[in-house]
Order: sequence, then structure tokens, then C-alpha cells
Amino acid sequence: MASGNSETINLDTLSAQQLSQVKKQLDEELEHLTSSFTQLHAAQSKFRDCLRCVQDKNKSPALRENNSILVPLTNSLYVRGTLSDASHVVVDIGTGFYVEKDIKSAAAFYENKVGELGASIKDLEAIVQGKTNNLRVVEEGIINSMRS
Amino acid sequence: MAEIQARLQSLSEEFTKFQQELQTAVQSRQKLEAQKQENANVQKEFERLKDGENIYKLVGPVLLKQDKIEAESTVNGRLEFIGKELERTEDQIKDLQEKIEKKKGEIIQAQAGLQAGGGAPGKVAAKG
Repeated sequence: MASGNSETINLDTLSAQQLSQVKKQLDEELEHLTSSFTQLHAAQSKFRDCLRCVQDKNKSPALRENNSILVPLTNSLYVRGTLSDASHVVVDIGTGFYVEKDIKSAAAFYENKVGELGASIKDLEAIVQGKTNNLRVVEEGIINSMRS
Repeated sequence: MAEIQARLQSLSEEFTKFQQELQTAVQSRQKLEAQKQENANVQKEFERLKDGENIYKLVGPVLLKQDKIEAESTVNGRLEFIGKELERTEDQIKDLQEKIEKKKGEIIQAQAGLQAGGGAPGKVAAKG
């Protein structure tokens, strides 16, 4: 969200105080980005779990037709049931909307989500890398300015 | 002397007030961006919808079946609203940034006045 500021400033022209301010800002940005990074990873692994459940080869046993399952009515109360239709699932697509899909397109949906998040993670990784580099340069600048 | 100091005090108070406002505006912009993203994803998903796939809307604890057209218009309406809100917040942020810059200038001026008036200049919060 921080706009890419392409302005370059020669670090030698900054005082130690200014440098430490820059460092502080970079630290904050980095912290924010890293937490986004973990969140993205968590989201991706959630989608991956969903994908695993609907994929053919290691389909969740609960998704087998005529298989006996327990349906939770409350946290502590269950009733026994059997699945009459194991070829369709209802997928949460966000903002309170759900779509009833067949297993195949549900898997495609989750694959897509995992892929999208993977791309975002990659982008973010590059940004984090760049920021870390910037931080290192600024830290070197601080050390240098303290020596001189 | 005391007059300038009092002025400086009130200026820096206004300055921090603007900064707080800016922060809330930035936060709400972030929230709006996230909502826009989510709704855009839903819209895209509706476009990909195949025949025989039903849309349900979560109303309280139950899922209600809904027409594709109806659901689409809901999402489009939301996106439009969010877009407008986003624009408004964007303007607000720009406005606040300008105000902050102006206040900064005024504070610096007042500080200079204080320094010219002699005595050690007490450092009044003027950090960006």
C-alpha cells in the first residue's frame, strides 16, 4: 500500500538522527509487510486444506456417498446422517455469498485461489527483500556516520 | 514570548489532531480497499459461474437461494458504493496531508519566532 517512492536520496547527506528516523520507518514497514506475509501464507494453507478435501485422489472420507457421518447440531450435539449427494459442495466465495458447485469446479476454484495467493506471496517476497536491502544500507549508513 | 509559546502549543495540538485524523482516514481507506477486493473476487466468481450452479446468500444463520441477476446487482451496487467511498476518503487524505504540511510550516515559523525572541528554544513536538 505504501506507494513506491522512486525518489533517491544520497544517504551521506542525512544526519545520524535523520538516518535513525528512516530506519525506524523502514522497520515499521518491514514489520507490517512481514505480518501480511504470514497472513497470506495462512490463507493459502487454508485454501489448500479445502482443495485437499475435494480433490479426487485424497478426497475426504466424509465426501463419500452413503457413508455414515455425524452432523453437528451444536458444539456438543451430533446426529447421525448419510450424505445423499457427494458430488456437490457449497463453496464460500466471500461477502456472504455461497455457490453450489460440483466437486470438480470446486477444486478448480480452490486451485485458482491457491495460485492467486501464491502470486501475491511471490510479489510480497520481492518487496520484503527490497525493503530488507534498504534497511541494511541505512544501517550501514548509520554506522558510517557514527565513525566519522 | 509566552504568547508565542501558547500559540506554538495550540499549533502542535492541532497538528497532532490532523495526524490522528489522517491515520483514521488511511485506515478506512485500507478497509475499503480490502472490501473492494473481496467484492471484485465475488463478481469474478459470478462471471465464471456455470449452468446448474446455484448462488446462496448467507442471511443470519441460513443460506437463501438467490438469483444470479439479483446477486450480481447486489455486488455491483456494493462495488459502486465502495468506489465512491474510496474516492471520498482519497480526497480526505489529500486534504489532510495538505493541512498537515501547512501546519508544519506554521509551527516552524512560530519556532523561528521563538528562537529570534531569545532564550533556549524548548523543543515542541514538530516531528513528522
